[in-house]
Amino acid sequence: MKTRSDGVGGGLSVSCYTGAVFLALKGYCWALGLAVVSGIGLMGAGQELVLGTAGGWRQAEAGYSWEFPQDHGSHPDYRIEWWYYTGNLKTADNRRFGYQVTFFRVGVDPAPDNPSRWAVRDLFMAHLAVTDIETGQHLMAERLNRGGVGWAGAEPGTLSVWNGDWTAGLDGEAHRLVAVDQGLGVELRLESGRGVTLHGAAGLSRKGESQGNASQYYSMTRMPTSGRLFVDGTWMAVTGTSWMDHEFGTTFLEPAQVGWDWFSLQLNNGLDLMLFQLRRSDGSVDSYSAGTRVELGQSTSLDAGEFKLMPVRRWVSPRSGANYPIEWRIELPDWRTSLTVEAMVEAQELYTEASTGVTYWEGAVAVSGLTAGLPVNGVGYLEMTGYAGRPMSEVFGNW
Amino acid sequence: MNLFSKFIVRAVFRDPVRSVVTIAGLTLGVAVVVAIRLANVSSVQGFETALEVVAGKTSLEIVGAGVGVPETQLAELGWLRQYGRVSPVIDRTAQIETLDGSVSLLRVLGVDVLRDQPFREYRLLRFSEGDQGSSPQELLAALLAPTSVVLTERFASRHGVKLESPVRLRIGDTAHPMVVRGLLLDEGPARVIDGHLAVLDIATAQWLFDRLGWLDRVEVQLFVPDGIDIAEQEIAARLPEGLRIQRPAQRGRQVERMLAAFHFNLTALSYIALVVGLFLVYNTVAVSVISRRSEVGVLRSLGARRSLILGFFLGEAAVMAVLGAVLGTPAGWLLAQGTVRLTSTTVNTLYVTSSATVPQLGFEDWLLSGLIAVPLSLIAAAIPAAEAARVTPLAAVRDADHQVVYRDFPRKPAAAASLFFGLGAWMSTLEAVDGLPLFGLGAALAVVCGAAALVPILLEFVRRFGRETLTSWCGVEGLLAHANLSAAVARLAVSVAALVISLAMLAAIAIMIGSFRETVTYWVGQTLQADLFVATADRAPVGSTATISTAVERDIRTHPAVVAVDGFRGFDLPYGPEGDLIILGAGDFGVLLDYGGLAFKVPADGAAAMRAAVGRDAVVVSESFALKHEVGVGEVVSLDTPKGPRQFCVVAIYYDYSSDRGLVVMDRATFARHFGRQRPTGLTLYLDPDANAEEVRTELLAAIGPDRRIFIRTNATLRAEVLRIFDSTFAITYALEAIAIIVAILGVAATLLTLVLERRRELAILRLVGAGREQIRRMVVVEAAMLGLLSQGTGLVVGLVLSLILIYVINVQSFGWTIQFHLPLGFLAQSTILITVTAALAGLYPARVAAQIVGERVR
Repeated sequence: MKTRSDGVGGGLSVSCYTGAVFLALKGYCWALGLAVVSGIGLMGAGQELVLGTAGGWRQAEAGYSWEFPQDHGSHPDYRIEWWYYTGNLKTADNRRFGYQVTFFRVGVDPAPDNPSRWAVRDLFMAHLAVTDIETGQHLMAERLNRGGVGWAGAEPGTLSVWNGDWTAGLDGEAHRLVAVDQGLGVELRLESGRGVTLHGAAGLSRKGESQGNASQYYSMTRMPTSGRLFVDGTWMAVTGTSWMDHEFGTTFLEPAQVGWDWFSLQLNNGLDLMLFQLRRSDGSVDSYSAGTRVELGQSTSLDAGEFKLMPVRRWVSPRSGANYPIEWRIELPDWRTSLTVEAMVEAQELYTEASTGVTYWEGAVAVSGLTAGLPVNGVGYLEMTGYAGRPMSEVFGNW
Repeated sequence: MNLFSKFIVRAVFRDPVRSVVTIAGLTLGVAVVVAIRLANVSSVQGFETALEVVAGKTSLEIVGAGVGVPETQLAELGWLRQYGRVSPVIDRTAQIETLDGSVSLLRVLGVDVLRDQPFREYRLLRFSEGDQGSSPQELLAALLAPTSVVLTERFASRHGVKLESPVRLRIGDTAHPMVVRGLLLDEGPARVIDGHLAVLDIATAQWLFDRLGWLDRVEVQLFVPDGIDIAEQEIAARLPEGLRIQRPAQRGRQVERMLAAFHFNLTALSYIALVVGLFLVYNTVAVSVISRRSEVGVLRSLGARRSLILGFFLGEAAVMAVLGAVLGTPAGWLLAQGTVRLTSTTVNTLYVTSSATVPQLGFEDWLLSGLIAVPLSLIAAAIPAAEAARVTPLAAVRDADHQVVYRDFPRKPAAAASLFFGLGAWMSTLEAVDGLPLFGLGAALAVVCGAAALVPILLEFVRRFGRETLTSWCGVEGLLAHANLSAAVARLAVSVAALVISLAMLAAIAIMIGSFRETVTYWVGQTLQADLFVATADRAPVGSTATISTAVERDIRTHPAVVAVDGFRGFDLPYGPEGDLIILGAGDFGVLLDYGGLAFKVPADGAAAMRAAVGRDAVVVSESFALKHEVGVGEVVSLDTPKGPRQFCVVAIYYDYSSDRGLVVMDRATFARHFGRQRPTGLTLYLDPDANAEEVRTELLAAIGPDRRIFIRTNATLRAEVLRIFDSTFAITYALEAIAIIVAILGVAATLLTLVLERRRELAILRLVGAGREQIRRMVVVEAAMLGLLSQGTGLVVGLVLSLILIYVINVQSFGWTIQFHLPLGFLAQSTILITVTAALAGLYPARVAAQIVGERVR
């Protein structure tokens, strides 16, 4: 499969922003990975295991030659990698759901001395969440495994990622997702749809001045989806649209961000929009904030000056006390676009004290507004971190 | 009621020495029973508590055949997740060296903390932030490096261990330098065996314990704990060959069964002291009956019914029994502390590693003591009490000094004795019940009762025919002693019987142990032919899996003086329908036959049969295995292997006294074919005939280096070690027996004292007619010594009979060992002198009392 992202980087100074794209885009993935990694860094102080150095892992560099479907597979030379699916689904009688299935691989030691199969080279994590928009129910489950005897893993060369019996694989060009836990589950087929969009410069997302601080990053922004979903003790046939991200790299961050707000939106005029902003500890918006516009056949990178994200309405989590903006106004003046993004359900907070220790909001959103004077609407997903518990910079700072 | 209590209480106080001795006897008897029970309970309980806490919330566990679960099979067990959470476990023991210089035994759990947290809920102590709590990631972070170990807060504070402290884990022959990366809060599994728990990452555990590719078990925590029965069945039906599902408690039951025979025999021994105590009760009540005949007569004349009289004497026994139980229970608890130390050495050497602590006394312990002591005392007292109740008022008043003197040959005791001996002979031919020698012990008990019945006959014999002998040995004092004894045959019978029984048991046990020791010595000579024996420095029981590392084996094999090496691998394997833990061993048959040897029971040419077993699915089994599981040569045993049950032909049975659990041994090639290649747990080395074993040992140790935890024993030191273990195993036996003898000798002293006190008038008359104090004293001492000698003589004969039952019935049924009969003549001669002297010494106090009686007392 050939990538159709021929417009990447065209004339825009994306290089200094893409690192932040990477960072912010998958902030929550980071949070999860970091909780593990920082713990290891802390407890294992004085050992080779302290992470944050490239020690044995490959750096993301320019000139990566993409090839699909091979690059859907794992890239075990890089330390961190994830496969990230979100989407909006509905049943034949219009009952609406949001879903999220995420697989993470966090490298720990590229070549453990211990010959045991249980020696940890990588840790594998996975998250499954379903939002029942009618009832306002938000369900989630999580997995954390070492590769061990094949309890979790990711194959290179093709899309085959699994954690326990949760799997993501290829069925022709389509992606097949199966993740069932107690009380919730999805079995979905995601058509390739609009295909692959490379972010940043031909998929290289630089995050800082240093050449190595970067990652390889692409999305499949609009994947027609069908299958079934398990909620309330019953399986329901569903259809809808999904968004897939795949990213891998080794060294990333320059700390001092307290959190981020990230949007993936699919509009009914054919526009897919990815936007994020990094919030700094002084309350300002980081200049690495960025985005990508994807239209049929072309994608365009956006820098921080090209869009504005403004909170409209807030919701306070009764559990964590975090104050999340769950309604936003988005302005892209150059593109004469003004959008309102509203959470379909207020309570889509993930509280992962038992596993990752990171509390964040990740959920289905509805979009409406005007672009070039014409009314548009759509659906999407919103992720907000750094509103509860320790600021993300502290989590990052630990390693 | 007033009369009742007066009668009883007065009885107890009237003869305080006898009462005190009786109560002391009962106290000791109860104490020994309680002590052994507590010790037995604690050795199993120590293991089971540890098991329970370590098992945590595990509902079921999947275990493999002997070597464990091959980890690759886990991939096929994905379907288990529909039943519950799954966690693989390595469960071992290791020694830890801490900076304070101490070495302690630790239970080591190797787990995948990402999986294991719901099973055991470890919580790490956090120092940095002062708060407590831990996620799987924190635990993993603490454990990830191959040098990381997590210990418990309790252990750490005791040994001055802190975070980042270096420690060394001794596993097999290697001491691994480790760093303490976390401390578990003092709760949950961390409390196990007093904090002696270490947690490793499963990868580290596999590596350090030489278990790469293997798991000790896979634990399952069911989502629906109530559905355990159905889940167990369903999982059992789906498991591949070679894997079994069981509940964690099953391991406890296996250990319990393994220890059952050992514990049963200890319990049986403990009752000897109680039986002796009961004889004292009988004796005391009997004397009480005799000396209070006139009182009984008066009461009867005043209209007291027979039942009241019966009640009086039973009441007396009951008071003593209750006192004995009340004093004996806490005494037993104290005694148990010492017993645990004695027996845990045996349990740890021969069976399992456990750390036993004596449980606190509970209400049920007091109740049980009472339930044992009171009814048995009442039964013991019933015979004399019934006799008292039969006394008619007239007879009692008229014949106040009535005594039983057998005019003719004592027929009743003779009949009883023959009946008991007959019963004993019959019971000794019966089979064991569920591996326990119930009938064997019944036979021993019958012989003991028969011996007790024999005592009045012997005393009567002495009365009739001993006069000349005693007179010629001890002069006039002897004559007087004989006369006194003759007059008191009935009263003495019971005390002497108690002594005879204790002495018979001592003789029997001495003969049994002596024979056993002789047999083991012979066996060691036959079997231990290698020049050097290499083992890891773990003091681990047989069947443990501390292995010898490749580096050490290479150093040994390359030494020029070493001509042959036989690597032995042994481990526990459940066998048979009950899952009895046997020991499966693998060795190099070729080397063993060329250089060493086994003592074969069948066939005569066991070596040829063994040679023929190489390359086939054939095994040799130990005698105890053959006996316990009723397997003969030519028959087939079915052993669980990782590939499912396999049939092995038994080609020979050999003598073995290293473990009563039973050994099945196969050639290492056969073993490897079924169980995979495993590192040896021990090496036997055969040296060049010109080499000096001691020098080679020194050279080998130097070559291997001081960092390796290796014991190399020469043939001579190993033989000595075997006998040392043997002797320590039987230390408890002697201790128990000594207590019984002390009780019995106390009884004899008390009886003599009573006799002296009752014969005041006679003694005073003797003084009046010119007997000196010294003569009176000598007379009483001669009486005592004579009773001691008589008891010991009888005891030796009865003991010989008992030893035959012990050796050929009880021992075979409990442990499955052939013991060659051998009389430890030296020991028996020594003990005869010792007993006679001790009895004479016991007569000193009554003698002093007698000597103080002066003529003026006669009115």
